[in-house]
Amino acid sequence: MAAIDGEVAAAQPCDAATRRSCEFARDGARLNPFLTAALLLPGVVPAAALAQSMPDQGLFSLQYLDYRDWQPGAARMTVRNPSLYVMTPFAERYTFEGSLVYDAMSGASPLWFDTLSGASGLGVTDYRTAGDAKVTRYFDRYSIGAGVAYSHERDFISRAGSLDARWWTADKNTTLAFGFAGESDYIHPSARELDNGRRHSLDFLVGITQNLSPVDIVQSNLTYATGHGYYSDPYKTLDQRPGERRVLAWQTRYNHHFTVADATLQLGYRFLADSFGGDSHTFDVAWAQALPQGFTLTPSVRYYTQGAADFWFGPPFPQGFVNGQDYTADTRLSAFGAWTAGLRLTRTFADGWRVELSGDFYRQRGDWRIFGGGSEGLLPFSARWFAASVSKTF
Amino acid sequence: MGGEHELLLGGARDPDAIATRAIDDVLRIERKYSRFRDDSVVAAINRAAGGAPVAIDAETAALLGYARTCFEQSEGRFDVTAGALARAWDFGGKPTRRPVAAVLRDALAHVGFGDVEWDASHVRLPRVGMAIDFGGIGKEYAADRVATIAQEAGARHGLVNLGGDVRAWGGRPDGSAWRIGIRHPREERALASVALADGAVATSGDYERFVEIGGIRHCHIIDATTGEPVRAWQSMSVIAGLAIVAGSYSTIAMLMQDRAEAFLANAAVRWLGVDAGGAQRGSFV
Repeated sequence: MAAIDGEVAAAQPCDAATRRSCEFARDGARLNPFLTAALLLPGVVPAAALAQSMPDQGLFSLQYLDYRDWQPGAARMTVRNPSLYVMTPFAERYTFEGSLVYDAMSGASPLWFDTLSGASGLGVTDYRTAGDAKVTRYFDRYSIGAGVAYSHERDFISRAGSLDARWWTADKNTTLAFGFAGESDYIHPSARELDNGRRHSLDFLVGITQNLSPVDIVQSNLTYATGHGYYSDPYKTLDQRPGERRVLAWQTRYNHHFTVADATLQLGYRFLADSFGGDSHTFDVAWAQALPQGFTLTPSVRYYTQGAADFWFGPPFPQGFVNGQDYTADTRLSAFGAWTAGLRLTRTFADGWRVELSGDFYRQRGDWRIFGGGSEGLLPFSARWFAASVSKTF
Repeated sequence: MGGEHELLLGGARDPDAIATRAIDDVLRIERKYSRFRDDSVVAAINRAAGGAPVAIDAETAALLGYARTCFEQSEGRFDVTAGALARAWDFGGKPTRRPVAAVLRDALAHVGFGDVEWDASHVRLPRVGMAIDFGGIGKEYAADRVATIAQEAGARHGLVNLGGDVRAWGGRPDGSAWRIGIRHPREERALASVALADGAVATSGDYERFVEIGGIRHCHIIDATTGEPVRAWQSMSVIAGLAIVAGSYSTIAMLMQDRAEAFLANAAVRWLGVDAGGAQRGSFV
């Protein structure tokens, strides 16, 4: 190797010895070889930053949600919902999680998205109380959790139990999750007696969380739910739905943290196939921007679109109804597209307190559907919700 | 490990105990990888040059793996076996003239990471006189480990500065970002400052160790392919997520000389450099 001048060496184009660097020049924007190599060094990144394991702090959170929806010329449903969540480690290797929710609903319909004029009861006020509890035992490379949930309304009771297991690799870069839940519901509308107002369902989940780098994480979950029983709307005349339902959902989320901007891009997609016939797609994008003084501002946009159920018929009511066949005019089962725009402001304090305010605005229209035609003859539907929460780690 | 060091911790119940653990690890790395200590792993590897393979642990193998990435990405300019070149230039001896061509040629013959025989458990330097020096990597690696140790021990906020290579996490305890000054390469003042909650800033410069020969500054950053000190930049600072990554970019950018800007543009990192004429290039904005 001759002691040639540095400038001469630097000016040489790509040759055999430097081909790798030329490839890097092309790939550099999407692949950081230094980071890839650095992650093989022991201890340059906290394991906790890479994947979840046993939490070492508890969390207490109180949230208040205010929901309202409307259509042209009519305010409809209002929901006020305080909720409480507690998570705490105990006895070295266990965590307990519990939550309580109380909903106060009032408005023209007991169903948020119902737009079928005349088919609802008169003004309705209802309350829902719900709670769940879960205990998780952590081992070195896996965890096992068991939980129960209960929800009660004037005309609806739901009980559920769940089991889940998580397993992670030694470097905690990969986590696999398996879940199983069973749910039993009892529907007893005030307006009329049902012959058999019961519904049972089983849910299965497999999921993977993979850290691609300290700043990239991807999570993908596949869930399958199968149920049988009473799925019709007891408050609607002529509502007759199949006695069993199977739903397959695939959800993938990807987060990328931009160190330079100190911000995280959050992308999500969910595909849902429903034996009722209404497949849906959900696309999410959010940008969580860290700001000075511990603030984080997160604008988000969501697009949702679904097809109509096989047995859905649009106005005029009761078009398409044949006695003895499945039928619904519930607009929640129509074909539509919907946009949600949201903004969330969070402030984190040094002593573990965290305050969050958020607002979301939702609008759905039949002609915003993609992957197929939208249902016709329905008024646009709008909703907005505000939430405030306070939480503290301990 | 030369230079000034600093460790700030916040949000922890027992910062003194955490700091002690973190500093112990820095000293451990220093003992293990210093080429100036006879009992270090590096000294054992270098003593065995030209002889039998030396057994190494996973950490040392991982550092060699990182060194390979630096070697490849810099097209051989960044080479942990460049110790013979530093000896030939002998900056510590305050030389008044360049090494003669034959000395430099001989030194270059003892440089070449590509010739090092190593795997996950052993390393062998093939020629007597070859030497490894993790000086361009170890300090930044130690800074990243300090951040990890402190975070895992519960320090939610922190900043570690090992001789000018800075790693920060969690912002300041009051929620604001850490503010990190960048030293001016020629004057006793800050060139710029950067706000960073989580991440690292590393600076390489021709002012750390150098000699002037015939009115020309010869700094300790030597292109291992030519044996010549670099001259295109007075200093180069880079922001990245990890100190070790920021340090590699800043040093290799110095070594890339005229091609530094293209190299850094490809890497999509924020950087700020001062060129040989004293002009600022790049931006932290």
